[in-house]
Amino acid sequence: MGLLSKKDSKLILDPLADNNPITIQVLGICSALAITAELKASIVMSISVLFVMGVGNVVISLMRNIIPSKIRIIVQLVVVAFLVIIVDLVLKAFAYELSKTLSVFVGLIITNCIIMGRFEAFALGNGIWRSFLDGIGNALGYGVILIIVGFFRELLGSGTLLGFKVLGDPIEKTGLYAIGYENNGFMLLSPMALIVVGILIWVQRSRNKALIED
Amino acid sequence: MENRTDKNSYTIIFAVVMVAIVGSLLAYAASALSGRIDENKRLEKQQNILYAMGINDNDETSAVFISTDKAPEAFDANIVEQLVLTVEDGEIIKQQTRQEYLDENGDEPYLIDIKKEKSNAKDGKARRMPLFIGEKDGEKIYIAPIYGKGLWDAIWGYVGLDENMVVQGAYFDHKGETPGLGANIKERYFMDDFIGEHLMDESGNFQGVTVAKGNADPTNQRKTDFKVDALAGATITGDGVTAMIKSDLRLYVPFFQNLKK
Amino acid sequence: MEHIELFFKSIFIDNMVFATFLGMCSYLAVSKKVSTAVGLGAAVIFVLAITVPLNWLLDQYILQPGALKWLGPEFASYDLSFLSFIMFIATIATMVQLVEIIVEKFSPSLYNSLGIFLPLIAVNCAILGGSLFMQSREIATFGLALNYGIGSGIGWFLAILAIAAIREKIRYSNVPAPLRGLGITFIITGLMAIGFMSFGGMLTGGDEGASKKEDKAVEVEMIETPKVDNEETIEIAENTTTKEIN
Repeated sequence: MGLLSKKDSKLILDPLADNNPITIQVLGICSALAITAELKASIVMSISVLFVMGVGNVVISLMRNIIPSKIRIIVQLVVVAFLVIIVDLVLKAFAYELSKTLSVFVGLIITNCIIMGRFEAFALGNGIWRSFLDGIGNALGYGVILIIVGFFRELLGSGTLLGFKVLGDPIEKTGLYAIGYENNGFMLLSPMALIVVGILIWVQRSRNKALIED
Repeated sequence: MENRTDKNSYTIIFAVVMVAIVGSLLAYAASALSGRIDENKRLEKQQNILYAMGINDNDETSAVFISTDKAPEAFDANIVEQLVLTVEDGEIIKQQTRQEYLDENGDEPYLIDIKKEKSNAKDGKARRMPLFIGEKDGEKIYIAPIYGKGLWDAIWGYVGLDENMVVQGAYFDHKGETPGLGANIKERYFMDDFIGEHLMDESGNFQGVTVAKGNADPTNQRKTDFKVDALAGATITGDGVTAMIKSDLRLYVPFFQNLKK
Repeated sequence: MEHIELFFKSIFIDNMVFATFLGMCSYLAVSKKVSTAVGLGAAVIFVLAITVPLNWLLDQYILQPGALKWLGPEFASYDLSFLSFIMFIATIATMVQLVEIIVEKFSPSLYNSLGIFLPLIAVNCAILGGSLFMQSREIATFGLALNYGIGSGIGWFLAILAIAAIREKIRYSNVPAPLRGLGITFIITGLMAIGFMSFGGMLTGGDEGASKKEDKAVEVEMIETPKVDNEETIEIAENTTTKEIN
């Protein structure tokens, strides 16, 4: 990362592992559970959040000196909602097919506390460039977990990845199904997302003992 | 700096200015784009209706609409009539052709808002129900819109029927069902399951189609059991589909009975 | 009857945490001790009970397509539903801060126990979720909206109370070190959610019950008239079992 100073690259790299928004900061859980039954949805959601957080953090950082502290939460919420609604309207007008795919996520993005959490914790007190990097970093950290969970849930739950039947056809009994393998439909239910994230936390903390809670 | 932003007057002015800016920007965007958005929605409805009568660009596995630039033309060519039935207490009290409806309301029948009509019916008012008659390979297909609720939000669809109320095609869509679970109602394998299902039993009673778990018929060989196979993990969405088929298509039964007479 | 049904449904069947997974962040972050969990839970009930009915009024008289007709017939064609998100959020954030100011002024003791949780609540997605569900499920009257708000609040309260109690006890158990804290909480919540899924079949209204009986009758008929040859029957039977497991 020749472009970024050491401090700046830490902003991007930290949330990817040791300060991950989902497994460490406990932010943005709801959406991580709701949409990870499918890998494609996880990827779409990650990209949307990346966009909203990058832009949102910059906007809040620009406004940080003029926002009255008493109503800062309202201001933050309005900024997110405004960004998301504008994007939704523009997509509906010019890329209708894409907007139908994304419409499910609009509500989830607005209510995603990862965005509010980073506004409050970082963008309100830091400059534009650093806030932008923080937004991108956290969105990437969030996306990594979403994609890992989505990968396992779709693979074990439906035997597909991005819709492709990677394990063979369950009805015609080809591939793995020929030797008696069955899909675990339970993986598709939301409670299993909680358990998969729980296991991810386990793996992460076994590898980095510093993160273990007492 | 800090003191200035803590003052009440500043807070109020800030809030007012913010609301004004955000509100006007949103209102501007909404009104500037509404023409295009309405046009897109109109085309989508035409695509949906055509899909339910089997006119689409489906490939092997996925559901693909006829392209938007061809949709209006195909719609005019294939939909030979659009009827509007007015229903009160389960009885059809009025039946209008497209021309009659146009003269009265100045609007196309396929633009009738099913959601609004359904809530009208709940308030005890009459409900207007469109029915599209398409012609394909010399056969008439009657396409009825349906509307209901899934787990999170609205679900809706169009069902194409022949004159015996046997399903010829179905299209379902949703506003916000869970991706990978309930959202799969708009997948080809679920929608195709409905084709060939009977809605009426032999003695002429309306049965509808139930989205059933443990259907014992995963490849859907039996077409007269009034059941299709459910989606794993999407019970409530499936129940929503069952409910909207039963409640909305039942209202068309008198029309089909008249047709036979 | 309608009220009782909605009430139980919003507490158990559509439980905010276990069925729709809303408000997870604060649920996981503030459930280390029962006492704080009770504080946050009470605040959630309180705020939901205020904001859901308030947003119901907004939705009914301003946002819905045609809702503005009380201003005069020429306003009947306006559709402001694209503003729902922003209006709901603004109402919630405003109400939370108003409540905070009022409670601080008039009941310092309540403020001390509840106050610190109020800012947390504005970002709790269960609150916005409550209003959005109220809108999408077309809750019909003001009374039902109030009922729904309180019911979902209580559901959330129960959930956080239960997990906090479990977390207090589990401290004495020998959980693998890396799993301690957040990890085990995730897994326990998953198991609790699976338990709550069993409430799903509790309420089935009159109509649906009748149609289910009909289905059963059809099923019985089917079993009595086996029309497929042996091989196929076996295959179908196999598939049934897998479906049921699913």
